[in-house]
Amino acid sequence: MSEIVHPSPARRLAGGRLLGSSQLVLAVILAALCIAISLAAPQFYSEANVIAILRQCALVLIVASGMTMLIITAEVDLSVGASLAFVGCIGMAVLNATHSLTLGILASLAFAGGVGLVNGLVVTRLKVNSLIGTIGMMMMLQGGVYLFTREAVQNHHQLSSFTGLGAGYVGPIPMPVIFAAAIFIIAYVTLRFTTLGRYLYAVGANEKAVRLSGLRSERLKLLAFVVTGLCVGIAGMILASLMNAGQPTAGRGFELTVIAAVILGGTSLLGGRGSLFGTLLGVLVLKVIDNGIIILGWNQDLQMVVPGVVIILASYLDIVRNKANVR
Amino acid sequence: MSADLLHAATDMATPTLEMRGIDKRFPGVIALENVDLVLQPGKVHALMGENGAGKSTLIKIMAGVYEKDAGAIRIQGREADIKSPRDSLRQGIKVVFQEIALISEFTVAENIFLEGYPTGRGGGIDWKKIRADSAALFKRIGFDVDPSARTGSLPVSQQQMVEIARALAHEAKVVVMDEPTSSLTPNEVALLFTVIRRLTTLGIAVVYVSHKLDEVFEIADTVTVLRDGRHISTRPIGEHTNETLIQDMIGRRIDNLFPRQRTAAGTKVALSVQGLSTAKKIRDVSFEARAGEVLGFFGLMGAGRTELAKAIVGYDPITAGTIAIDGSVLAPHDTRTGVRLGIGLLTEDRKTEGLMAELPVYQNTSLASLGTFARMGFIDTARERKAVQEYVDRFRIKTPGLFQQIKNLSGGNQQKVLISRWLMRGLKVIVVDEPTRGIDVGAKSEIFALIDRLAGEGLAVVMMTSEMPELLGLADRVAVMCEGRLTAIMSREDATQEKILNAAIG
Repeated sequence: MSEIVHPSPARRLAGGRLLGSSQLVLAVILAALCIAISLAAPQFYSEANVIAILRQCALVLIVASGMTMLIITAEVDLSVGASLAFVGCIGMAVLNATHSLTLGILASLAFAGGVGLVNGLVVTRLKVNSLIGTIGMMMMLQGGVYLFTREAVQNHHQLSSFTGLGAGYVGPIPMPVIFAAAIFIIAYVTLRFTTLGRYLYAVGANEKAVRLSGLRSERLKLLAFVVTGLCVGIAGMILASLMNAGQPTAGRGFELTVIAAVILGGTSLLGGRGSLFGTLLGVLVLKVIDNGIIILGWNQDLQMVVPGVVIILASYLDIVRNKANVR
Repeated sequence: MSADLLHAATDMATPTLEMRGIDKRFPGVIALENVDLVLQPGKVHALMGENGAGKSTLIKIMAGVYEKDAGAIRIQGREADIKSPRDSLRQGIKVVFQEIALISEFTVAENIFLEGYPTGRGGGIDWKKIRADSAALFKRIGFDVDPSARTGSLPVSQQQMVEIARALAHEAKVVVMDEPTSSLTPNEVALLFTVIRRLTTLGIAVVYVSHKLDEVFEIADTVTVLRDGRHISTRPIGEHTNETLIQDMIGRRIDNLFPRQRTAAGTKVALSVQGLSTAKKIRDVSFEARAGEVLGFFGLMGAGRTELAKAIVGYDPITAGTIAIDGSVLAPHDTRTGVRLGIGLLTEDRKTEGLMAELPVYQNTSLASLGTFARMGFIDTARERKAVQEYVDRFRIKTPGLFQQIKNLSGGNQQKVLISRWLMRGLKVIVVDEPTRGIDVGAKSEIFALIDRLAGEGLAVVMMTSEMPELLGLADRVAVMCEGRLTAIMSREDATQEKILNAAIG
């Protein structure tokens, strides 16, 4: 088999530059969006609006950080939306029962981490495809939450520290944004600088090679599932705090937004390739579009339509750019 | 010499296909420069060259996958314009690629008539006719394949026959076979050759792309050698010897394909396998491998070499027996323990089990030893890259840089990276499975030298191979397998081709 060696410079490498060229396309799209929206509606750049956008990004970014790791290992978790709603209800119920924020948070982390663990075991032990396995989990959680509670679990204690999780500020910056930033940085450092991060890429790139190298590829995948679950736990508590209740109907379609952001950011569903920085840009693009549609006063149903178009367009641009590199 | 022959050839008959002065450029690479290829009806024309010589590019131009940048193509004397695979097929050129392009869920007959199903009354597809026509085509090539079998269920050898039948269905004048024997058993190769000869009696010009010398000597009438995108020679096969062909292909002489540098092997047992069985294949296999020796395992297709290799490194589960590395039993039976005790596998299937194709060279090299470059889980990348660079220099791995994606390297260089992966980790026993599969002649001798050096440095090397010269050239002792059992172990001195084959047949 003879093939031509294209002497292309190093690019699109895992843990390569801060801004790989696939993120460049996205950065340009983001900039274009910001400029276009602010021309049509100058209030786009008001401090209040910028902070609103960041706050909306926070929940998605928290879960997308875990999801990026998971998709890099070539697996995916579709149950995060359903889990998000359930977690809020559980956390709220435990908080009500114990009057302890710590216990409430621990309960929601344990629940969401447990969901991730089960997802991971189903995929790595039972060898069920993660797409199917986590759809199953999604259905179980969507139904299960109604077995748990028919209606929203109200906050009985009005703990100010609990309300602070979602609605509080540090200076001008909302608490959820601080949580998101912290999780993003931890995930970024892990993927970029640690052996664990490198192994996650390796498992996605070639699981068999990783196993032959004496590494436990299944443990790595399992870990990525659990981490994704824990991120859902944190996001779920913040959401419950924002709504001051555990809402069984919350989180519908949340998994799609998260996965869309990760894919938009250039992470390959085939595994082995992707970056958290791209995910950040992906989240920003989606939320800026959301925000733009609202402040321009467009029909809100476009909030689903436009991102759909953007995802297809961005993927296509990525292909075009790749081809241009090779030719 | 070659020019004379071309003149002689044009006098003989109108060539079926004539490619003149073909140029093809990719950014930064000249893939083909002024290449000629002239095919005569009813002849087998071998196209040879190392990886990157331009063979693939040339046949892809024939197949309409690439468009040529310059040059002319004439089919039976008439100027032809090939712009797409469809054009190519319409003009009577059928390329059977190494990775066969059939729809595996369709039946054989459906695949053969893929481009245009004959229709019966009312415009429905005439299934009866399709099946009958398919059977007739197979009869013409003298090979029987069930037209209603699901294509994906057939072995590669039969899928090739389906492709050839497709060629006949399109009344192809040129059939190109791209490395057709890379996954065939010796029997299947013999059958393929019979079919190829049948094609030539039908007046079809066959292009045979390969780098297996013995096959080319057996089947080809004429050989064209390409090197670095240039035409080197076109000669009748009778004018070639092994040496002249290799010399044309690599542009230099290889004096000794197996440069053995080692002295006698030690006596310390590094690997001891007792009564090993697996669920699938291996039955009660026992042997020992000593530090500093190459223990060669030979066997025909399906003898269980790969299965044995995967079992002894802890990758595939075992049902009975023990494996001990330097006296320590491999338990629990997994690769993690295996690597910790010092045994590793250089896999036969680089693409699916070895390479992380999208990742850079340095990450591929350090995979098994990443822990040694880390403090508290953080990788010291400077130290890591420096260590990798040493291996790149030491083994002369040709890569534009450590950040190059490994998929862009040649097979030989990829193999060197994978060997480096293990050397960096530090092993006592290395199991190498078909170490030169898909690697061209020049790089082969480098891989042999590397294996020789590994043993010289005190590793026990267990080498699985189906290539007799490789076995006899490298191994200190020869073990022979047949249907999952070990049928003979002999020393290098006792091993003859005949004895080995006898044991391999069982």
